[in-house]
Amino acid sequence: MLDDTIVRKVLGAALSTGGEWAEVYAEDRLSHSIRLEDRRVEELVTGQDRGVGVRVVRGTSSAYAYTNRLDPDSLLEAARVAAAALREQPVAEVRDLRRRTSELRHPVRIDPAGVERASLADLVRRADDAARSHDPSIAQVIAGYSDGRQHVLIASSDGFSIEEDRVRTRFVVQVVAVRDGVVQTGFDGPGRSSGYELFDQFPPEDVARRAATRAVAMLDSRPAPAGEMPVVIAPGNGGVLFHESSGHGMEADLIAKQASVYTGKQGQRIGVPTFNGVDDATVEGAWGSFQFDDEGTPAQRTVLFDNGVCTDYLTDLIRSRQLGQPASGNGRRQSYADVPIPRMTNTYILPGSDDPDEIIRQTPTGLFAKSLGGGQVNPVTGEFVFGVVEGYLIENGEPTVPVRGANLVGDGPSVIAAIDALGTDFDVKEGICGKEGQGVPVGNGAPTMRIARMTVGGTGGAA
Amino acid sequence: MSIELSEIVQRLAGEATGGEGVEAYAEQTTRTEINAFEGEVERLTSASSTGVGVRVVKDGQLGYAYTADLSDDGLRRCLAEARANLDVSTEDAGNVLPAAAPVEPLEGLFDTRQVDISPERKVQLALDLEQRTRTANPKVTKVETASYGDAVVQVAIASSTGINGSLALTRAWCYSTALATQDGESQIGFGIDSARSIEELDIEPVAADAAERAVRLLGAVKPPTRTVPVVLDRMVAPRLIGVLLAGLSAEAVQKHRSLFADKLGERVAAPGLELVDDGRLLDGPGATPFDDEGVPTARNVLLADGVLQRFLHNTASAAREGARSTGNAARASFKTTPGISAHNIHFVPGDKDEAGLLAQAGEGLLVQDMTGVHSGANPITGDFSVGVSGLWFRNGELAEPVREATVAAYLLDILKGIVAVGSDLTWTTGSIGGSTLLIGEMTVAGA
Repeated sequence: MLDDTIVRKVLGAALSTGGEWAEVYAEDRLSHSIRLEDRRVEELVTGQDRGVGVRVVRGTSSAYAYTNRLDPDSLLEAARVAAAALREQPVAEVRDLRRRTSELRHPVRIDPAGVERASLADLVRRADDAARSHDPSIAQVIAGYSDGRQHVLIASSDGFSIEEDRVRTRFVVQVVAVRDGVVQTGFDGPGRSSGYELFDQFPPEDVARRAATRAVAMLDSRPAPAGEMPVVIAPGNGGVLFHESSGHGMEADLIAKQASVYTGKQGQRIGVPTFNGVDDATVEGAWGSFQFDDEGTPAQRTVLFDNGVCTDYLTDLIRSRQLGQPASGNGRRQSYADVPIPRMTNTYILPGSDDPDEIIRQTPTGLFAKSLGGGQVNPVTGEFVFGVVEGYLIENGEPTVPVRGANLVGDGPSVIAAIDALGTDFDVKEGICGKEGQGVPVGNGAPTMRIARMTVGGTGGAA
Repeated sequence: MSIELSEIVQRLAGEATGGEGVEAYAEQTTRTEINAFEGEVERLTSASSTGVGVRVVKDGQLGYAYTADLSDDGLRRCLAEARANLDVSTEDAGNVLPAAAPVEPLEGLFDTRQVDISPERKVQLALDLEQRTRTANPKVTKVETASYGDAVVQVAIASSTGINGSLALTRAWCYSTALATQDGESQIGFGIDSARSIEELDIEPVAADAAERAVRLLGAVKPPTRTVPVVLDRMVAPRLIGVLLAGLSAEAVQKHRSLFADKLGERVAAPGLELVDDGRLLDGPGATPFDDEGVPTARNVLLADGVLQRFLHNTASAAREGARSTGNAARASFKTTPGISAHNIHFVPGDKDEAGLLAQAGEGLLVQDMTGVHSGANPITGDFSVGVSGLWFRNGELAEPVREATVAAYLLDILKGIVAVGSDLTWTTGSIGGSTLLIGEMTVAGA
């Protein structure tokens, strides 16, 4: 991608003003996307993006300059701009660049770039047909396909370099169901670090039917009750809750700033002894996986909670040095236009030993959150709000009436402390996580789980 | 550089052959961002990026491609990809390019003072903002983020239908997030300012806002569940307008995802309420003489006396129903085809400030933060259920802080319930202006 001699020159220029280490991140990305809405296949888009970022680091300070002109002069200019932020004598030299390799594989069987354009249009049409024939109430279908091949080269003055080819493919379907003036929506969106073979595992019809089923089920819903109650969360969705309410607070930039509710909690018991949580970028072919993070640190499995005890934080290189913690391989960025910051990859609550059906049967009354929408968290306090997009009342140990407009409100540590049942099942939800304006692919996984008590916001009056 | 962009887009537009329309959109952004933390520069980012997007239409079909590779070869490939992508799209009356129309120039988008600002000055502003925020109140224990940013944006558009425009604009902004701590409890508060040049930024109110908003939330508790008047402060109100905006695009109406569909000419909001989008309003960050496909912008009244007047159009949505574009084509970047968005949308201000509105309401909740909007507010169904924090007020005076409360209501009911709009219209970095809003009553759910 870039010649080693030029990379070394650029790193040298970057270190000329007192940087302790410097890094070059080069990226070339080819992507395709197609979208259907209102029965029409909208435009197919081919995108070619590329650029290089040069970073100079001294302690916890960093300067970053990027450009999408890749000639040697533009690269050296970027290095000079980044270096200009410091005005010290040089303290470090560029070491020999040793190429790191990875044993991890996220195999791509069918290169999406080689797939016929007409087949991509067929995918979204098939989803449209399947959703509409699922139920007469389906009034609108939006289906989207996207793929991307991102080639990255990362080189550090600390003496290593990596190259990685990351291929990701995703398919999303959103449907709108309308009956008797009531409007409800349903969504499903599987994605993998793999190629076009995604559709062997997730045929577009299946994805569409799952989205449609959710929307239709909610047509008969009534406003959710408000108040405190036990909440059982369906597999996968608890991972989304965990990601938002605890995962973000365990990202080391917030820890270092003592701006997280998890600051100083390492070694403390927070959850029940059966509660185990990890962040794992090594899961083969998972949406949030890679071989190396965006600073060239090998992908890892990091234990966040070990038998209820808060263990490791998620670090990038700056924060790992600052906190004296291991580099956990969580330095990620959206593209060359962004600096890496600590981010999650695939964040999982591990399965427990409870029979999933039994968890609901053992809950006399409460809320069954079958599908959660997005959420938002204030990491300082750990407080979050989550929309329940498909929810049911639990009455006498059974899910009964569908309820809409429910919101789960609470804070991360309290929710973990209140988890009192973890199922033997497991599922994963894929998404794009946003932080500081950067979106990165993440997977969130969990078994069926019960939170003994939490606040539910709804419009249907007190429970 | 601008000349070069113009050259590139004109050359691409000139490649159009029999029966096809070709439009090229190029943008170049130069950006600086500086974050200060504990008296030091935590991060400085300096960026320059350029890209081109090519839209090809023919016989009602559309193909798109973009590239950051501006070499002759890269541009040629981009045009070829856009052409190859034509065939798979469904025919649509909206797949046309706008005809050229005279554009009235808009002066004042580019502040020449911004060009020669030294990096040292920018760094100093971020450091000063951090220091002022930290010392604004003894209960502020940390400044989570203090940031200065600026951008110089150049855009050029040309098409085979005769569009040929270019513009350059400057923006500068700064914001600060204060962390206040007391008895082991932490709260955060936010302050922001934005302008066309660093010369116009005022860090004192930003620091004071951030500190004040964090400190006054200390000791917050869950409120009892009650139905009361709710005041959205000027920094929260844009979140509500943002949800409404999604339903005001003609494309959303055509695609059956607007809760305002079939409501044109109807009273959908409280009498007296005026909602306007003004692409030529220089105070707003979204001011521009032409939109992202080269169509002239205008002042568009969306709600007059609470009655829905029109939807926002780009060329595609207008062509589908034989209407005219309102000049609201919007692209997130060169990577996307034009969608629809507002330039500077806002409620026309009333005559009372926040204190006046609190006095008018008597007792209720002043909301200073809203969370969960992207999941809890659904512009299609009209459901609106979000987490809020803020302060209870009685007899028009601020009282105890409140957290972990939720408010839930139907969006159109909220719109009909807006009793008054504040006089304090403020623009920050987005396309939505904020004024304090008084809503007659909402259910605030807590413990």
